[in-house]
Amino acid sequence: MAARLLLRSAFRAATTCRAAPVPALTRGVTTGGIPTDEEQATGLEKVILKATKEGKDPYSMLKPKEYAGTKADPHLVPSVTNKRIVGCVCEEDNTAVIWFWLHEGEAQRCPSCGSHYKLVPHELPH
Amino acid sequence: MAHQAHAYHMVDPSPWPLTGAISALLMTSGLATWWHYKTTTLLFLGTTLLLLTMFQWWRDIIRESTFQGHHSTPVQKGLRYGMVLFITSEVFFFIGFFWAFYHSSLAPAIELGGLWPPTGITPLDPFEVPLLNTAVLLASGVTVTWAHHTIMEGARKPALQSLTLTVLLGLYFTALQAMEYYEAPFTLADGVYGCTFFVATGFHGLHVIIGTTFLMVCLLRHTHYHFTSNHHFGFEAGAWYWHFVDVVWLFLYISIYWWGS
Repeated sequence: MAARLLLRSAFRAATTCRAAPVPALTRGVTTGGIPTDEEQATGLEKVILKATKEGKDPYSMLKPKEYAGTKADPHLVPSVTNKRIVGCVCEEDNTAVIWFWLHEGEAQRCPSCGSHYKLVPHELPH
Repeated sequence: MAHQAHAYHMVDPSPWPLTGAISALLMTSGLATWWHYKTTTLLFLGTTLLLLTMFQWWRDIIRESTFQGHHSTPVQKGLRYGMVLFITSEVFFFIGFFWAFYHSSLAPAIELGGLWPPTGITPLDPFEVPLLNTAVLLASGVTVTWAHHTIMEGARKPALQSLTLTVLLGLYFTALQAMEYYEAPFTLADGVYGCTFFVATGFHGLHVIIGTTFLMVCLLRHTHYHFTSNHHFGFEAGAWYWHFVDVVWLFLYISIYWWGS
């Protein structure tokens, strides 16, 4: 048992020593040593960083694109399920917002101003 | 990872707001029992709980951000707003004390001799230690800005040096001010002069200690590679707070130390 304990602590000592050295110290005295987001970002921050580089916006962080709202150029509404609530401000500065459910399939029209809206699938990030 | 379609951080349930509230209760009632019954138990308990709360709450934030990556850009933006609003509230806190000072000093009561400084008060010479303190804080403002630039440029060693220098200057200010407090020819009990002087400079000194502690934590985190050249809001928040402390001192120096003498 003593031998096992000794081996275990020796192994742990050996492995922790290996984690210590700083690679960046070799890069120069007045430059380097601080990691970049590229190197160190993790979790959600990293996912977003990668997606942004590829031009994607899985977390809807950017302003929605502008569409004409016509039959040929309907508002494209991303959704992670098969329907989403739309609030149409038919004319600028309108205070009465027209709310309706937009379902997948054919484009629907706002019951007030007739703008076209089409649901498009949006990949749920995971 | 999180099954969410947004970039915000829905924080996990945490006990620290509760422990913080409890410590606030213990500290306030502790002050009352200390002053009325000369027992410090509640106060001591409350302070300990406060320190534990702060340590664990902020440790959790570091875990959530640096180690788990929850601080996306919109989350960071919210934190920036939060820090700005907090510092703004602190500005108003100090405005109150400056108001009190100017109220009493602009039209000195007859009981004071109708003049400011009041009869019998020998104010500190503004061109002695207070001027040195001004230089120390201004210099620390320069070094903390230098530190920020080195972090943004990715230079680890200069960042270590400039940040350490900032902390040392902060400690130097505190030491100088403590000595001034000890040597001052007037006390808190010396009428409205003593009151406005020590309450205003005292709260400022407390904020210097808080700011220095904040920067020391930043220094520690920097040595552990927490900051990246692009994402280091913890440091920026500390630097903002430090600049705020510096500005408050400048107002104190001009109003109380210089004009007030």
